[in-house]
Amino acid sequence: MAKYMRLIVVLVVISIFSGAVLAQTYKITYPNIKQNALKKQEEAIMKVIPGAAKYKDISKDNLKVFKGLDENGNFKGIAFIAEGGGFGGSIKLMVGLNPEEEVLTGMTVLSHLETPGLGARIEEDWFKEQFKGKSIHDKFVAKQDIDAITGATISSNAVGSIIKNTIEKVYQVYGGEF
Amino acid sequence: MKLFLIFMGAVVVNNFVLSRFLGICPFLGVSKKIETAFSMGIAVTFVMTLSAMASWLIQNYILIPFGLERFLQIVSFILVIASLVQFVEMVIQKTSPALYQALGIYLPLITTNCAILGLALLIALKEYSLIESLAFGFGAGAGFTLAITMMAGIREELQFGDVPKPLEGAAIALIIAGLMSMAFMGFSGLIAM
Amino acid sequence: MTLLKDLTRGLWRENPIFRLLIGMCPTLAVTNAAINGLAMGLATSFVLICSSIIISLIKNFIPSKVRIPCFIIVIATFVTIADLVLAAFFPDIHAVLGLFVPLIVVNCVILGRAEAFASKNPVHRSIFDALGMSIGFTWALLLISIVREILGMGSVFGINILGKAFTPFLIMVLPPGAFLAMGVLLGIMNTIQDKLATR
Repeated sequence: MAKYMRLIVVLVVISIFSGAVLAQTYKITYPNIKQNALKKQEEAIMKVIPGAAKYKDISKDNLKVFKGLDENGNFKGIAFIAEGGGFGGSIKLMVGLNPEEEVLTGMTVLSHLETPGLGARIEEDWFKEQFKGKSIHDKFVAKQDIDAITGATISSNAVGSIIKNTIEKVYQVYGGEF
Repeated sequence: MKLFLIFMGAVVVNNFVLSRFLGICPFLGVSKKIETAFSMGIAVTFVMTLSAMASWLIQNYILIPFGLERFLQIVSFILVIASLVQFVEMVIQKTSPALYQALGIYLPLITTNCAILGLALLIALKEYSLIESLAFGFGAGAGFTLAITMMAGIREELQFGDVPKPLEGAAIALIIAGLMSMAFMGFSGLIAM
Repeated sequence: MTLLKDLTRGLWRENPIFRLLIGMCPTLAVTNAAINGLAMGLATSFVLICSSIIISLIKNFIPSKVRIPCFIIVIATFVTIADLVLAAFFPDIHAVLGLFVPLIVVNCVILGRAEAFASKNPVHRSIFDALGMSIGFTWALLLISIVREILGMGSVFGINILGKAFTPFLIMVLPPGAFLAMGVLLGIMNTIQDKLATR
């Protein structure tokens, strides 16, 4: 019995020690980890809403939506996160929209799992730039009103339909008032 | 329908061995004979399905409620898998000596099979429900079995082939795996998840 | 002299990847670009060296029956530290290595060295052994990832070196390329080993 006690004591001591060390490490690194995520999000929002200097989170109903404001607090447009299935996995985008003119003001890729060298080219500027100034009433279909990436029509189409679907959802939830 | 897609996705589209690179060690180590490869596959499938369930329970009933998921996940998952393998070994030994004879030596190896830990982490990452996790775990195991059995089939034939000396053993196995992986790429995009 | 031997063992004679063929999963998965291979090598080295030291220090207190669970806890602790530190200070690298940072736990190189060396030898020798293995693991990873990046993207560390005229073999940065590159490199290493042995 004493033999088993020793096994258990050793395991418990090591586990407690490990837990304590990790809790401490987490406490030290957590502010940075959180800040990194926030910074990434902020950079993306600023990129897709021209003229925005700060933003306000107005998310609701599982939709992540942000309101972009300039230095004086004037409304500059909204940005929302659009997510959906691509060719290799989920694609996550940040899309900027001007509700007055009903056009997109920019798009940037937050994360994706597309094939390197093919679908992954959705991250290239020429592909992202084409969404700037696009009317939200367009079809967003590759090879029709979107330039497709050679050899990656599915990825190109996926980006289009993810954006189109999320615009519809945003308008359903917010009714065009932001 | 979603369960079926998750299952097929894990078997062919994102095959654990050929496109996620999980479980390469047993894939190269125990793929010399079809029989042993298949037994290994079954053992892994069994443990994977069980650990899919166990890790889901831990993630959703212990780690998340107590806010520990960010820093105790790795430690707790690997401990659960190690104890699970030990437990399965003991149960099989008591209840079915014949099965134990067949699987026995492979079970301890499974603890350090990264496919199992990878599975547990992927389930936590994808936020699957319990049933979905089981489908995913079973599919991942089936995919592993498929890949390792095919590999063993090819390697059995290869014994009679004329392989250049420097490529004998693992090197030629890797090149074959590359060709198999290329074939499996044909499935990619079949199921968008 | 023994220390030097401990250090050089991992470099070639018992190189974990090319000679012992262990730790293959990260080797294949993250080597699609030189920077990823290097980052993975360094993260693994950190875990290997730290856990070797700790395991060597506490080896006398651990009953042999529970030694494997104890080693795994120590290793998993350092892996989590590496994961958190990467996420906090190197978010870009963390995003790329993703799932494979936690999977360092089951990298057989680490548990293998803990069991075969650190649990039987004094601290200073364990450090040199871990250092040698780390360098051996990292250079192998770096070599594979450089080969794959040059062939698949025409660049090294993201800097284009082959120019516009070169059409990259995309397949090399995709999963099949990992297996093919590793298989061919292993063949080359075997040839070199044979040459060395007969000399």
